[in-house]
Formats: sequence, structure tokens, C-alpha cells
Amino acid sequence: MYILPKSDLPMLLRTLADRYELFGPIVDPVSGETLFDRAASPEDLRLDAPIPVNTPKFTVFPHLERILSFRYDRDSKDLDIVRDDLVRPKALVGVRSCDLNGLLCFDRFFLGQEYVDEVYRDHRRKMLIVTNTCVRPFVQCFCVCTDSGPYAAEGYDVNLTDLGSAYLFETGSEKGAALAVELGLAAAGPADAAARDAAVNHSIGLFDGQAVENKAWISRAVNRLTTGFVKPETWEYIGRQCFECGACSFVCPSCSCFNIEDVATQAGPTDRLRTWDSCSFEGYARMAGEHNPRRPVEDRRNKRFFCKLSYSQSKKYLRPGCVGCGRCARVCPGDIGLPNVVTAIRRETTGSKP
Amino acid sequence: MNDRNPAVITTVPAAAVIEEIRDEIEDVRTYYFRFEDPELERTFAVRSGQFVMCTVFGSGEFAVSLPWSPEADRRHLSVRSVGKVTGALAGLVVGDKIGIRGPFGNGFPFEDIKGKSIIYVAGGIGLIPLRSSIVHVLRHRAEFGRLILLYGARAPKDLMYRETIEGWRGTAGFETYVTIDRPEPGWTGETGFVHTLIEKAKVPVENTVAFVCGPPIMFNAVIQELSGRGLRDDCIISTLERHMKCGLGKCQHCAIGRTLVCTDGPVYTYKQIKTLGEQI
Ligand SMILES: Cc1cc2nc3c(=O)[nH]c(=O)nc-3n(C[C@H](O)[C@H](O)[C@H](O)COP(=O)(O)OP(=O)(O)OC[C@H]3O[C@@H](n4cnc5c(N)ncnc54)[C@H](O)[C@@H]3O)c2cc1C
Ligand code: SF4
Ligand code: SF4
Ligand code: SF4
Ligand code: FES
Repeated sequence: MYILPKSDLPMLLRTLADRYELFGPIVDPVSGETLFDRAASPEDLRLDAPIPVNTPKFTVFPHLERILSFRYDRDSKDLDIVRDDLVRPKALVGVRSCDLNGLLCFDRFFLGQEYVDEVYRDHRRKMLIVTNTCVRPFVQCFCVCTDSGPYAAEGYDVNLTDLGSAYLFETGSEKGAALAVELGLAAAGPADAAARDAAVNHSIGLFDGQAVENKAWISRAVNRLTTGFVKPETWEYIGRQCFECGACSFVCPSCSCFNIEDVATQAGPTDRLRTWDSCSFEGYARMAGEHNPRRPVEDRRNKRFFCKLSYSQSKKYLRPGCVGCGRCARVCPGDIGLPNVVTAIRRETTGSKP
Repeated sequence: MNDRNPAVITTVPAAAVIEEIRDEIEDVRTYYFRFEDPELERTFAVRSGQFVMCTVFGSGEFAVSLPWSPEADRRHLSVRSVGKVTGALAGLVVGDKIGIRGPFGNGFPFEDIKGKSIIYVAGGIGLIPLRSSIVHVLRHRAEFGRLILLYGARAPKDLMYRETIEGWRGTAGFETYVTIDRPEPGWTGETGFVHTLIEKAKVPVENTVAFVCGPPIMFNAVIQELSGRGLRDDCIISTLERHMKCGLGKCQHCAIGRTLVCTDGPVYTYKQIKTLGEQI
């Protein structure tokens, strides 16, 4: 534990920018929205800005990424399969604990299980993460209900907590510890740790006022989903609300579905591209011969909520796949972001009216 | 890394050369191939019931079953030309190269079924994934009870692997029944849908497992018939098909219920299929 005076933040960011591509919260001058994006210069990063509208997952899982390319000459039969190393080292600064937990869900999913996703691993290996404790929740947030905030417990290289005139600089890895030494930071004392605890507790206290009752219902919704007790009418209602736009998946820090396409280029080689995909799209499961085993929209919608709250994460890793960022609620035109779905499940059991 | 497969080609396909192409039935061809890398050619080990991802360079990649038997059988794939990538494959000639990733999936549970009788029920190109298992079982004939193949196709011209089947007919201890949907001039064999053969063959249910593979409509009729005779749901084994992209359990395209066909399947028992809560 160290102390980083706020006046030294630019020094930290410049140090990182020297050896990494620097990413973090940037306030867009036109819309006023915060975007998690590549910083043209370290001064653009704003650790005090609201939660970014997009998730940092694109830094490990780009929207569009070439994973291979092929050159094949049908006449000479010459074949060249190229796996370029296009991955550059990145430093992510100002990551909130919800988004860090999204990345940890990705780690478990892409690096764990039977096979390792090699492309993802390459991104992750060359990465440094500086998290930022949320000392004040935003209206959409419910990370306390999904056990993913407001303070990052693990998985960061450095965690910063705003203590007023300085940040508490906690290290979570050898990379982080080396950075503290290199920057010549002063050690923090027990009073600083107590100040951090107070800041975190204050933040958790603020959730009481805004994380309304349905949000606390997440664990019970998980339970009902996992035991198969959600009524078909509830799924039908949720399915009817869905516009199949895919926005929820694209803003979600823990959605990782992708498509792979081979695309011929003008120059000759064929690129194997992987792109984001969403289980809400009608063609997602369609097979050759027009056989689509998951045609009704409610079948596709319940896939999302089973994925988030039941099998994909909860069953295997004993935590929900939702990290409580609230972004899906913000973007869903059908008003069926995750909190509202939890509410719908609550209503079906308590019989309460909207 | 993966105890089921000591060496799996995961992300980057391995180059393979097409050595021979045979026309099977309309739109279906069998491609015999060899890996370009001699070491891989020597060591590439598969289990029956698994699949690979096949790249047609310039077009894309698709999932395809392994019809060859793990022991001493030529490597080959049998593919129906239905769309973009399989259509491009059909345009290749001997000497062309394809890419192979795999082998993926769980494979048939041979360890669990030693000593039992096996009924194979296949419809149309459903015989492709079962072929490997049949060749394997015939090589270990003594380890099993009755072995019966019930195979049906729309018409004689739709029967896969006709020479191979003729060979099987002559194999002692292997009962082979072949049917076509409707009578046709020149056809002297059985007619009627494949599930009607279950009665004709007097298939046993005690100490028996059934491998069933074919289009969903045929699958349902066969299941009804077998279950009606008292064959337990966990003794009916099938392979499921899903749209696949990665084969590695990551893209999620092949999700069915709480499982992924590429890593948890493609082989499932009917008992498992019933709990998936989705159409097959
Ligand atoms: C585990 C597994 C094993 C498989 N094993 C085999 C195998 O051994 N052999 C094999 O041939 N296939 C097998 N398949 C199926 C094979 O993967 C698909 O046929 C293939 O992916 C189609 O790819 P495509 O790009 O050619 O078709 P696409 O271009 O993606 O799509 C085909 C399009 O063509 C049309 N079309 C497709 N099928 C038909 C049809 N029957 N009649 C009319 N129109 C049609 C439809 O418009 C469809 O959208 C297997 C699939 C899986 C998941
Ligand atoms: S499901 Fe919604 S609230 Fe939960 S992590 Fe995804 S986008 Fe955020
Ligand atoms: S299946 Fe749906 S909810 Fe789950 S990761 Fe994919 S897009 Fe997200
Ligand atoms: S954002 Fe809403 S409407 Fe769009 S796909 Fe997701 S659930 Fe459906
Ligand atoms: S094919 Fe990608 S998860 Fe199964």
C-alpha cells in the first residue's frame, strides 16, 4: 500500500503511456458522455468521470479482429497460414470493479474450461490494469447486489482509491509492485487503510438509497432460474418486449459471444475475422437447411438470462455473470434490462403489480 | 491440457492434401486426405463420434463428423454440398489443400457399453457419424452382443457408403437391414421408413444400446418405437448438430440448454437430450 498524491497522477499516466497503449475513461467533448477509449494523450483520461457508457472488454476482445489469414494459390497449391501477432501491450486505467469483474468472468471463460482461447490470452498477457474504487455509485449501478463492487477485491495490478488529496495505491501483482517502486511512492499507513474502508463503506451505504428492492432480489432470481421455476408466461412477456437489437450484449462487460467469418481481401489473402455476436439475433443458431432450433424470440431471450444468472457463470463459477453495471438497462429499447427482468421474476412470485 | 485428446489442433488449422475424391450420392462426396506434416499424419488420433472443423481456404470453415475408425482406416470426410463453404469444397480437386482443426467433442462411450448388444439406426447421411463406430465395433466383435444396422434412405440413389454396406452384409455376426421409403422399380430390398425395421429385426432391449442418427423427424419416430419397446432413455445415444464456429466452447453458437454441443457433445444420450429443454 502506497500513497499517490493527486499531483503525481500525470506522472503515473505518462510512465504507463511510455510502454503501453493507454486506455481509460475519456469525456467526449460533443456528447458529454464518458467513453472507455484509447487516450491520445495521458491528460485526456478522467478518473473522476461517470461510469463509461461502453465496456473495456474491447481491449481484450475487439469488436472486429483478424485472428488468422490464409494465402492459397489454387494453381501452384502453395499454402501459407499466417497467425500475425497484432496484439500490442495495453494499460487500462480507471477500470471500475464491475468492469474488472467482467474481465475476470472473461478470464474464467476464455482461459479456463477445456480449451484456452489463444487470441484472448495474448491480449491478456500483455496488459496492465489500474482499477479505481467507486466512492460514489451512479443511478444505474447495482454492483453490491452482484458481488462485484464497489471495491475491487482481486485481479488488478494497481487499485486506486480516492482519499481526497491523494489516492491510496494498492498493488495486486508483481507488475504493480514494481511500478510503485519505480515511481518512488511513499508507503501508506494504517490511517490510510482506515480512510479507504470508510470511503468504501460510505459508498456501499449510498447504494441503499438507489439500489431499489428488485436489485437485492438477484440471488433469488438466480435460484428460481436455476431450479426452472420461472413461468413460461414470464419468458413470453420478456420475449415480446425484445427488439432483437443486440445492444444488451454489446454493452455488457461479460457477454463474449462471437462469430467467425473468412473474408477474401482485395490483396489476395483471406482474413479470418472474429466479431461480436449476440444470442438475441434470430440467425444466431440457424443451421444449414434453414433449420433453426431456437426460433421463438422468447427462447433466445431466456438464453440471455439463463446465461447471466444461471448456467454460464453461476453454475460453473458460483457467481452471477452479471456484474451489476446497469448498462443493458440503459440501452434496452424494450425496457428489459437485467434489473427489470429480475423485477418481472419477482412479480410473478409475489403477485405485486408494477 | 485435454485428457481426452492428447494433441488437439485448436486455433490454427493444419494443412491437409486431398488424395482422392469419391462421389457417394447426389451432392455428397467423400474426400480422402493426408496431413502435409508427416509427424501429424502419424500421430493425429481421434475417437469415434468426434468431429473436426474443415477450412476451405478462401471460403470458410464448417463442422464435419469423422467417418473413419480410429484404428487403421483411411482418413476421410463425407460432405453434403449445401451452402457457401461446403459448396466451395465441392469445387476442389485431388491435390488441393484443406485445413483441419480438431478433433473436438466427446465421442461415443465405448467403455460403458462393452458386452452389450448394439443397434445402429441411421437415416440418410446420418450414417456418416455412425460409420466410424461400426468399423470400430466390428474390429472388436467379440466384445459385444448382437450387432444390428438399420439403415434407411429416401431412394436407392440416396444410400451412403453402398460398397461398405455390401461388405458389412457379408460379415458374420453383423445383421444389416436396409430400407427405402417407397417401392421403386429394380429395388428388391425392404421398403418403408427406417423405424419399421425395428419390428422386422426383432431388436432386443435387454442389455442393449441404440445409436440413432438422422434428420429430426426420423429421430423422433425411431425414439418412439424404441422407447415403446422398453429401451431406457440412457441407452439411446445420438449425435446433435448445431451451428458451430469455434469448436472450442467459446463462441456459444452451439449452445443447447445448458450445454455446448462442441465440447459437451456432439454425443448425447436421449435421457440428456430430454433435459436440454430445446428442440433438437
Ligand atoms: C458435429 C457436426 C457434424 C457434422 N457432420 C457433417 C458431415 O459429416 N457431413 C456433412 O455433410 N455435414 C455435416 N455437418 C453439417 C455441416 O457442418 C453443414 O452442412 C455446413 O456447416 C454447411 O456449411 P455451408 O457454409 O456450406 O452452408 P451455409 O452457406 O452456411 O448454409 C447453407 C445454406 O444453404 C441452404 N441449405 C442448406 N442445407 C440445405 C438443404 N439440405 N436443402 C436445401 N437448402 C439447404 C440454406 O439456405 C442454408 O442457409 C455436421 C455438423 C455438425 C455440427
Ligand atoms: S447483464 Fe446488464 S447489468 Fe449485468 S453486467 Fe451485463 S450489461 Fe451490466
Ligand atoms: S449467450 Fe447471450 S447473454 Fe450469453 S454471452 Fe452470449 S450474447 Fe451474452
Ligand atoms: S437491448 Fe433489449 S431489445 Fe435489444 S436485444 Fe437486448 S433485450 Fe432485446
Ligand atoms: S462451436 Fe463455438 S462454442 Fe461450440
